[in-house]
Amino acid sequence: MSPLSAAVETRSLGCRYGRFWALRDCSLSVPAGSVTALVGPNGAGKTTLLHLLVGLCAPSAGDARVLGWAPREHPLLVLPRVGFVAQDHPLYRGFRLSEMLTLGRRLNTRWDDALARERLQRLGLPLDRRVAALSGGEQAQVALTLALAKRPELLVLDEPAASLDPLARREFLGSLMEAVADGGLTVVLSSHILADLERVCDHLVLLRSGGVQLSGPIEEIVAAHRVLTGPRTDPASVARMHSVIQQRHSERQTTLLVRANSHVYDACWQVGEVDLEEIVLAYLGLGMPAAPVRREVAS
Amino acid sequence: MIWLTWRQQRTETLIAVALLVALAAVLIPTGLHVASVYDQARIGSCLAQDTAGCPDALGAFENRFEGLLGLVTWFTLLPGILAILIAAPFAIELEQGTFRLAWTQSITRRRWLTTKLVLIAAGALLAALIMSLLLTWWRTPFDQLGNRFDTGFESEGIVPLGYTVFAAALVIALGAVLRRTAPAIGLALIGFIVARVVIGGFLRPHYLAPLSATWSGDPATTGPDLRTAWLIRQDLSDAHGNAVHNLPSIADACGSDLAAKFGDASCLAQHGVFNHAIYHPASRFWLFQGIEAAIFLGLALALGAFAVWWIRDRVS
Repeated sequence: MSPLSAAVETRSLGCRYGRFWALRDCSLSVPAGSVTALVGPNGAGKTTLLHLLVGLCAPSAGDARVLGWAPREHPLLVLPRVGFVAQDHPLYRGFRLSEMLTLGRRLNTRWDDALARERLQRLGLPLDRRVAALSGGEQAQVALTLALAKRPELLVLDEPAASLDPLARREFLGSLMEAVADGGLTVVLSSHILADLERVCDHLVLLRSGGVQLSGPIEEIVAAHRVLTGPRTDPASVARMHSVIQQRHSERQTTLLVRANSHVYDACWQVGEVDLEEIVLAYLGLGMPAAPVRREVAS
Repeated sequence: MIWLTWRQQRTETLIAVALLVALAAVLIPTGLHVASVYDQARIGSCLAQDTAGCPDALGAFENRFEGLLGLVTWFTLLPGILAILIAAPFAIELEQGTFRLAWTQSITRRRWLTTKLVLIAAGALLAALIMSLLLTWWRTPFDQLGNRFDTGFESEGIVPLGYTVFAAALVIALGAVLRRTAPAIGLALIGFIVARVVIGGFLRPHYLAPLSATWSGDPATTGPDLRTAWLIRQDLSDAHGNAVHNLPSIADACGSDLAAKFGDASCLAQHGVFNHAIYHPASRFWLFQGIEAAIFLGLALALGAFAVWWIRDRVS
């Protein structure tokens, strides 16, 4: 068998609660070995998508393949190879850390107890400490430890750093990156803190209620987007060549954020680069870079 | 999974055990005391054969323990409390979202559900069994005295097992739907009491059609044994059990005062007035226990099946 090129693959995946579609028509592919950020506004279905990947939800439409298998139909083929940290990293509050490790050992076929103990020791968390006595950042680290001790091929994290203060967030993402550096791990994480994503992730999936809006390697996404500034005009001529993501007009000036399908040759536009955060915000319809031109690029 | 369930239930299980120990600490000494008084006052032989002094002895025995008996009647709420203790960790797991941690380890949701529900049901049954054995033993002397249906039915035998499992299933089903422990427990307690009142108060007399007996008021005739029976109604009737039309005039003729339950029985009998009773005989006690336990266990199974369906399809 050839090595899997995609750790996660979904086709027209949808999930419905009663008459309400929490996720609709989601088709995406997460390459093995990537660290993929899942971003989108509240209610876009990020959590639902992640729950579908670990079998917590059943698809109402389409299908999902995780490490080659449908997670809901074949939980025992998927779950042992997937580490999952749910939103707010739930842990049994009355348990001691040693008991959390016992839980992991007893409920998993693949479990690296030494790895878990070593990680907790490195974090300075004694095994007889109770979960309830830990700070939010420490609890998130314990949840990540439990997920990593499964020696997963895929790690799925739902807003792992959302509830943490900046310092704890930095430490959490640091230990996540260490784990990724050890190799062989694909990560899918959702976050609304865009600054984190650029540090940690190499792929991006942008989800809106209509489905996947943008998906691919972050480098390519950044390279493909440009800010055009020029005298006030109708952007129709640009739209023929490139997709205009967002436009803003002032009295004399028009600013466009475009996904350039080729080089922008038109001499009347000043062409500038944008960073990932600005691209994501533009797709979410949340404003336009205030000072669009960072650097001139030769076209 | 068994280890995890036990670890999650540990605190509540220990509280339930402490409750049962406290119950035993109350019931065993008082029960021994009641039994010794029962023997010393020769209540047993009085019940077998009415001799001089027996009515006084019986009255004294009943008066002496009336308060204690009233107190122990409250223990009929214990199944609800034991069930809440045993089922609460399940509701807490759904409220706090830790089920997502459990379900994404390498186990199936089915195994999680099966292990938890089987262990909770077993725990509830065991706790109820211990409670019922204690109470049934404690009440033995009182059950000889009279109608066991009235005060003993809900704390003796097998119905406490049905009550406990039902209350636990109610906490689990409500906990699954509401995903909040406190409202689930509150509603379960209300539902438990309503079910007990409705089924015990309105359904239980109709598990079987009551027997009807008509017998002459002549002191030489003996009617059915009503002392230990569950009496639904007793009045005066004609030979066929129908109401007597001219009862007031007959009573006047016999010099009886029916309101004061005073009457010349043989005079009334001569005028064709009979005793009439509608009742469940004492021999039906265990049959009724079986029917009521089956009703509550059936409700518990239905609630359990509903909770399983809800959790498998709707909780994520």
